[in-house]
Amino acid sequence: MRIREFFLKPYSKLVWILLMMLAWELVAKFAPVSALAFPSLQQIFKALFDSIKNGELVYQMLFSLTLILEGLFIGVVLAFIMSFLSVVSKVFESFTDTCVSIFHPLPGIALLPLIILWIGTGTSAILFVIVHSVLWPMILNMNAGFKSIPDVYRKIGDNYEFSRFQSMIRIFIPAALTYLLAGLKISWARGWRAVISAEMIFGASGSIGGIGWYIFNRRVFMDTAGVYAGILVIIAVGILVEDFIFGKIEKNTIKKWGLS
Amino acid sequence: MKPLIRIKNIWKSYGDKQILKEINLDIMPGQLICIVGASGCGKTTLLNLVGGFLKADQGQIDLQGQKINKPSSQCIMVFQEFDQLFAWKTVRKNVEFPLKKIRKNCSPKELRECVSHYLKLVKLSDYENYYPAQLSGGMKQRTALARALALTPKVLLMDEPFGSLDAQTKNELQESLLEIREKTQTTILFVTHDIREAMVLADRIVVLKSGRIMEIIDNQSKDRSLENKITSLLSP
Repeated sequence: MRIREFFLKPYSKLVWILLMMLAWELVAKFAPVSALAFPSLQQIFKALFDSIKNGELVYQMLFSLTLILEGLFIGVVLAFIMSFLSVVSKVFESFTDTCVSIFHPLPGIALLPLIILWIGTGTSAILFVIVHSVLWPMILNMNAGFKSIPDVYRKIGDNYEFSRFQSMIRIFIPAALTYLLAGLKISWARGWRAVISAEMIFGASGSIGGIGWYIFNRRVFMDTAGVYAGILVIIAVGILVEDFIFGKIEKNTIKKWGLS
Repeated sequence: MKPLIRIKNIWKSYGDKQILKEINLDIMPGQLICIVGASGCGKTTLLNLVGGFLKADQGQIDLQGQKINKPSSQCIMVFQEFDQLFAWKTVRKNVEFPLKKIRKNCSPKELRECVSHYLKLVKLSDYENYYPAQLSGGMKQRTALARALALTPKVLLMDEPFGSLDAQTKNELQESLLEIREKTQTTILFVTHDIREAMVLADRIVVLKSGRIMEIIDNQSKDRSLENKITSLLSP
């Protein structure tokens, strides 16, 4: 019972991570595995600290994060425009539904040859892949959120003489926030994956390249510990965004309002 | 005295189904009119027409001589649903929200005082910082009432607002509504399927059956014997 309670605490994730690291270290030290494929934690952390110290990893991570934030912003704005038009026009809703059916299942990576043809291999190409990854799940969630709004809210908006746009901003968006946050979390995760994949394929975009390019480069030089260091940073950013940023937003909004 | 609302020969159908037939009704300022009838008789449709949420197939509804053709803050609706409050706003912010839009010239101090006044009127002064999820059903309906009253509408439209409440809370809210009406002299059009509720609240009771007004009964005397009359009018 005590063990169960222990693992139900908020810090249980940290305990699991420590246990996984312990298992990793035991395998690296005692199992008959190649040190090149399975470097010890000491080697991985050394590679990590070296890269942080010389600034390489930090700059490349910041480069990737800037790209994904740009992509997320563009994707969310486009999704909002398309969802808003879908709310006001049934004809546009049918167009949006068709676009989502076509493009949502299409992986950004499958579009890469075309993207290279259209806009080359620079930062814009990576941005295109991120926007593609963000836009469709965001529209799906926004539309589902707006459809879930009780009809009484629409009537109240009309009753208080709000225009459709005012109703959208002041009533529909907060009312659909549970769905919008879920959409944002999915979009963030997809965008994050897309940016790393695209960086690996396109190579160094911009002056330094991103975290994907960092990992790719380590692999080329057979620096496996460096590859793992890059992966560790990606995991750390993922946990930070999920637990701290989205967690905090949820705690101060939908959880506080009793919506989840 | 001229009627505040004049409903003239209203007909309304949904597809092939005729919902309202030849509805004529004058509502005087300050009156509390209850519309009673069984489920599906067209009570809510009539309320939605007065609120401007629906368009009639035939006929016209006038508010102070002006045709109603869209919803406005002059006829505010209070709904039966508890989720009519905005979950992301506290009780105070819920009441303040439409005021900010409709009374743009009010200073923040005036707005604050106005909200406090109406929260006191519905006996919710101690709960102004609560979110709707933290309130009981009765408190939610009181908040909705305060939000509607704060706009000082010409007509308050109430669609079975106490329909989902337990008997005791319902009685308390009926008493509160009568007190508020006494203080504010707001004209109220109240829809209910509960004959007793109509008898407690109304100055006049409109008996609606199969989309037609069967009778308009004067209830100033609150004579209990009228209950049997309304029941027999509504029986098949």
